[in-house]
Amino acid sequence: MPSIDTLIVVGVMLLKVLIIGGALFCAPLPLTWIERKLAGRIQQRLGPHRVGPFGLLQPLADMIKMFVKEDIVPAKADSFLFKLAPILAMAPIFAIFVVVPFGPDITIPFIDYKVSLYITDMNVGIIFVLAISGLAVYGLIFGGWASNSKYAMLGGMRSTAQMISYEVAMSFAAVGVVMMSGSLSLVDIVTSQSGGFLNWNILYLPVGPLWFVIFLIAGLAEMNRIPFDMPEDEGSLAAGYHVEYSAMRFAFLSLAEYVAMVSIAVLLVVFFLGGWDNPLGSLIPILDYVPPVFWFMGKVGAFIYFFMWLRFTIPRYRYDQLMTIGWKIMIPLSLANILATGMIKIYADYRITDVLEMVGLKLW
Amino acid sequence: MVDIIKTVITRVLFLDFIKGLLVTLKYTLSRSITLKYPDHETWIPYERFRGEHKLHRNEDGRELCVACELCVAACPTDCITVVPMEDETGRRGINDRVAKVWEVNLVRCLYCGYCEDACPTTAVRLSRGFELACTDLDGTIREREALLTESPIPEHYEGGVVVKAKYIRKLIQIKPELWKQKDWWPAKPGRSKKR
Repeated sequence: MPSIDTLIVVGVMLLKVLIIGGALFCAPLPLTWIERKLAGRIQQRLGPHRVGPFGLLQPLADMIKMFVKEDIVPAKADSFLFKLAPILAMAPIFAIFVVVPFGPDITIPFIDYKVSLYITDMNVGIIFVLAISGLAVYGLIFGGWASNSKYAMLGGMRSTAQMISYEVAMSFAAVGVVMMSGSLSLVDIVTSQSGGFLNWNILYLPVGPLWFVIFLIAGLAEMNRIPFDMPEDEGSLAAGYHVEYSAMRFAFLSLAEYVAMVSIAVLLVVFFLGGWDNPLGSLIPILDYVPPVFWFMGKVGAFIYFFMWLRFTIPRYRYDQLMTIGWKIMIPLSLANILATGMIKIYADYRITDVLEMVGLKLW
Repeated sequence: MVDIIKTVITRVLFLDFIKGLLVTLKYTLSRSITLKYPDHETWIPYERFRGEHKLHRNEDGRELCVACELCVAACPTDCITVVPMEDETGRRGINDRVAKVWEVNLVRCLYCGYCEDACPTTAVRLSRGFELACTDLDGTIREREALLTESPIPEHYEGGVVVKAKYIRKLIQIKPELWKQKDWWPAKPGRSKKR
């Protein structure tokens, strides 16, 4: 019989898993609504507005539709892999959130119990994230392969090639983050950037902004969104790897895509924008009372908005352009940037606030 | 050389992307041109619009139509049928003539407005009603009684605006204070409001 303390720890852990998992499962509902509304606004339309106030119940209606539709498995498809693929696409992306810190430790009032706002603080957090997110491509390639359709096959192949190309640049960007912050744990990465936006990794001049851009572009490619949505290029591949999917399996694949978008936004915030850190530090005293989770969510929301905005602004790249950007620009650039980061780390490891203090300027 | 530097700066700072993003941002903040027709909003056409026919009365409530059948003669598609009769006032002459039957086939009509022009008493005028959809062909023929009802849109209202649909739907006369002043075409410099 384990002691009562162990049981409480396990219970709290399970509760956190349930909350995060439930939130991620429900996240695509509002996200699809926001995306469609935003698409409408950008194209001077209204977006969904018939179901419920402002069309807010539209995603629910879509969900009901997805539930009651016939679940078709093509006759000549590899039915085991076909059914496995949506799960394989979804599970790794959910697993990323095991190491993501959403805020600092909070103490529950009255019972004085300390709860950390992450599931685990893994000391190799970044490596875990990269390893797990790389597995998500199996869902796409299995889905494309098992459908036994040439469009799905091409989509799956494209997604594999794209993921392999951009995984390298993304890993290098993660190495850059590790060098800038000096830790592999995501919690330590966030705490190393605390104290206002001048301390954030994105402003670790001169290499920070470059790492940010590399990670952003590689992330866009990793989550298969415009401008890098080659695997589901409507113009040339119908719907790419999920062309044969219907009903709930299709819903799972699109859920995986939305959660991937959230996960890239979360990683960008944790790696470069100081996670839950208050942007103005303690410059404005009243902002200290804003809960840190709010800052985290705000930054993630801003990134998600940016991704959607980007989707309805720019066209997709051609396939050879995609490969050129990946291999000929991003990877050499990130290699050179690793060198530069190393040099700076050895000879001039200063953040902007340090420089400001040296010239006698103390903001906070 | 200057061009090369300019290109490099544009590429490095993603200036083209930012320009494109600003364009879509401008559209995000602009007004939607979609109407919530027919549930919530509806479009009132300009005054010149030629829609469904209406027969009019004078101030005393007497029909203006004297059943002279000039509209029938003017009609290029023969869609108007007029059968005259004498009413019960007992007078003789043009004043007591009214139409026994005045019907127009809205499917055949090409809305040219010749009947309007031919009418000596301005009894028949084309209104701005354009919602003529119906489920069978009987609905396409308008009888005299239906044509004598008043149009919900005041005749001399200049139009060209979007109003809440309930004002039209419930046949409430649109009062000037209810006009939701909203131009269909956003006003642009160099283009006058009445086109």
